[in-house]
Amino acid sequence: MKEIIAIVRRHQVPASKKALEEAGFNALTIQSVEGRGKQKGVGGWAAEVDPHLNPLLKHETYVQEAEMKWIPKRMLTLVLQDDEVSKAVDVLIKANQTGHIGDGKIFVCSLEEVVRVRTGENGPRAVS
Amino acid sequence: MKMIRAIVRPEKSETVAEKLAEAGIVSMTKMHVFGRGKTKGLQVGDIRYDEFPKVMLLTVVPDEAVEKAVEIIIEVGKTGNIGDGKVFISAVEAAYTVRTSEAEL
Repeated sequence: MKEIIAIVRRHQVPASKKALEEAGFNALTIQSVEGRGKQKGVGGWAAEVDPHLNPLLKHETYVQEAEMKWIPKRMLTLVLQDDEVSKAVDVLIKANQTGHIGDGKIFVCSLEEVVRVRTGENGPRAVS
Repeated sequence: MKMIRAIVRPEKSETVAEKLAEAGIVSMTKMHVFGRGKTKGLQVGDIRYDEFPKVMLLTVVPDEAVEKAVEIIIEVGKTGNIGDGKVFISAVEAAYTVRTSEAEL
């Protein structure tokens, strides 16, 4: 079993969910987090949304180099079978890639044990 | 690569993050969590505090940076009292940057 932790833009969550659902990954956990990447929050609010959307949002006080310490993001957590990982990563990248800074990161960790609370079954069987 | 999850006091989180950034660990995720430690909360008179607000800092760093990061978190986050928090380290198999779809930090 593997755990995928993806940190993505807030407004990409519906698209990510839809793409994951279409690929057969229905179960996920969504958390509201704040974060920053190696650019240290450069771009401020303008970078929080996709820069392509900025003209539409009419940023009147648009400052390219504004720095924001923490940028609101969404963290998606999925638990999958080993062989599903690459497909899920592809789906997540495809749904979230805009090519601009702030698209997010995807981490893949291995899990030692998973238990389904309802039935008590464990191991790969607990990951449907 | 290793994932570091540090649960620290909320009032310390900003300084911890800043010191980590100074040491070159800029990327991290912050989330607000509630928890308790092995002291099972705190009893003040008749009131029992079961859960305390904490901040969890999550960062993924290369193996060689782990030791330094933990050192900084402990040094900055320490007050010496119960409730200073915990640092958990776990292995990360792969990390992808969505923007470039490359498998690197």
